[in-house]
Amino acid sequence: MVIETVHLGKRYGTLQALSDLNLAIEPGKVFGFIGPNGAGKSTTMMILSTLLEQSEGEAYVCGYNVRKDPASVRQSIGYMPDFFGVYDNLTAVEYLEFYAGAFKIPARNRRSLVADLLELVNLSPKADAFVDSLSRGMQQRLGLARCLVHDPAVLILDEPASGLDPRARIELREIIKQLREMGKTILISSHILPELAELCDDIGVIEHGKLIACGSVHEVSNRETGGSVMQLRALRNLDKAALLLESSPLVNHLEEYMGGFRFYFQGTEQEKAELLQELMDEQVAVVYYGDAKKNLEDVFLAITEGVGME
Amino acid sequence: MNGFLFNPILVKEMRERFRSRKTVCILAIYLLIMGGIPLGFLLTDTLKAEALGENRNLFLISAAIHYAMVCFVAPALTAGAISGERERQTLHILLTTQLSPTTIVWSKLITSLAFSTLLIVASMPLYSIVMLYGSVSPEQLAQLILFLAVNIFFLGSLGLFCSTWIKRTSISTITAYGIAFFFVVGTGLLFFFIGEWLQQSYPDMYPDQGVWNLPELQVLAGMNPVIVLFGILGESLDHSEQLAFSPWLFFSCTYVVLGLLLVVWSAYLLKPIRRRWWSWKKASGRVK
Repeated sequence: MVIETVHLGKRYGTLQALSDLNLAIEPGKVFGFIGPNGAGKSTTMMILSTLLEQSEGEAYVCGYNVRKDPASVRQSIGYMPDFFGVYDNLTAVEYLEFYAGAFKIPARNRRSLVADLLELVNLSPKADAFVDSLSRGMQQRLGLARCLVHDPAVLILDEPASGLDPRARIELREIIKQLREMGKTILISSHILPELAELCDDIGVIEHGKLIACGSVHEVSNRETGGSVMQLRALRNLDKAALLLESSPLVNHLEEYMGGFRFYFQGTEQEKAELLQELMDEQVAVVYYGDAKKNLEDVFLAITEGVGME
Repeated sequence: MNGFLFNPILVKEMRERFRSRKTVCILAIYLLIMGGIPLGFLLTDTLKAEALGENRNLFLISAAIHYAMVCFVAPALTAGAISGERERQTLHILLTTQLSPTTIVWSKLITSLAFSTLLIVASMPLYSIVMLYGSVSPEQLAQLILFLAVNIFFLGSLGLFCSTWIKRTSISTITAYGIAFFFVVGTGLLFFFIGEWLQQSYPDMYPDQGVWNLPELQVLAGMNPVIVLFGILGESLDHSEQLAFSPWLFFSCTYVVLGLLLVVWSAYLLKPIRRRWWSWKKASGRVK
């Protein structure tokens, strides 16, 4: 395992920020960390990045214990915090050269390394621009290049897409895909769940410091949401369809979706057919009635629902 | 050593500092103030051939203003060194590199000291005007330079410590000035208050000026920069007949050691994962 945590916990005074976290991430995988604000995602990432000491348990990165061998861990990771600043009076090249120096990369290799990294993140034309003159998206890509100066095996990216416009998000996502193809193990957290679903091999859902679900997106969604997600499209009498669906005990999470409805159905195939028959009886002009693709937002809502109310 | 001198933080900090317009402005204002004093002095007290070598006032005033500027500038330059990194959210990234907290702290201190030293060196030619008036020995000037250098180091270390200890630069700067005030003024006041109190409370034990020769009070006097500065300038502020040690040497050694301790402490505070020297749990045997 490239990243492993064993009964990891963190307390801030009386607040238990992280509790009994057991994670195991295989090499080359992209692991998505999902959870609401304050769930413990950043705390976990900071512990793995040797910036915070855990209160309980152990954490390992590339086999190195984060508490006992932080220098080796730092050499193995590229960490990008959720918010980070830049040095105003440096150009993009100088910025990356500074971090290359900080990772003890020989001076003779730095220039070519920096040029390669800028090319990877599509910032070559901005090489001599001052960092503070770059847009937020460009700074984020530069931050990603900064994580790669020492060619780490693991990337820890805390909300890398936060505050970015859609175009910048897409550009960043493409770069992360490239890094995945390069064999990097990536631990990434994000609030933009559809993006994680597209990027991640596995996900972990964390709430109130506890890991409440973990596995591939497919496994977790089938295990946690229960039943199937259905979609109904109709031309007429949608109000009647809504009333019928709302009154059915087998239907949950009803929502308007693409000229119809989307809902969880917890019943058998026979019950599914009976529901369709009822809709037809109500003169609902059904044009589509069948399975809808589950998205990560459904999974997240299904898993975290109610836990926060305790 | 070569690796340390060319470490990336030193290069980056120098580049950032000397590229900024603020640096040029600070240097210009500093020289303007330092040059304005002898200029004003020359205008009010015209240089006369018969007075050469007899007027020490310019030297005293220049040295005092120089020291005041050091007290003002040195903590300010370092009080934001670490907290500034924290505020612009670059500290965490820096701590995940291969640079140790000790290297970070020393590099920050050296770059700040380099600028303070530049201020001192740039203003040194102004002492040629002082030398014109005479009454100043080269030895005194050398002692003064050493005294200023020690003060820059100590006050810089103090600012750096406050910057590591306190998260906000504004609070760190105020705290650094407050502690510096204690060393510059507080130790002097303590010296005089304790001396006067002993003299008035125990007149039989300390007749005349004997109390000022107590070793404890002499140590306190040797720790006060103002008393030591006046000692270097040949003016006595305390009432002791003869100090048992060279005050500027005692002062230099004490403050260099204090400065080093503050740097080591800062490096310890900067470590994200610190070795615990003491734990209540361990002490009570609850941890296996």
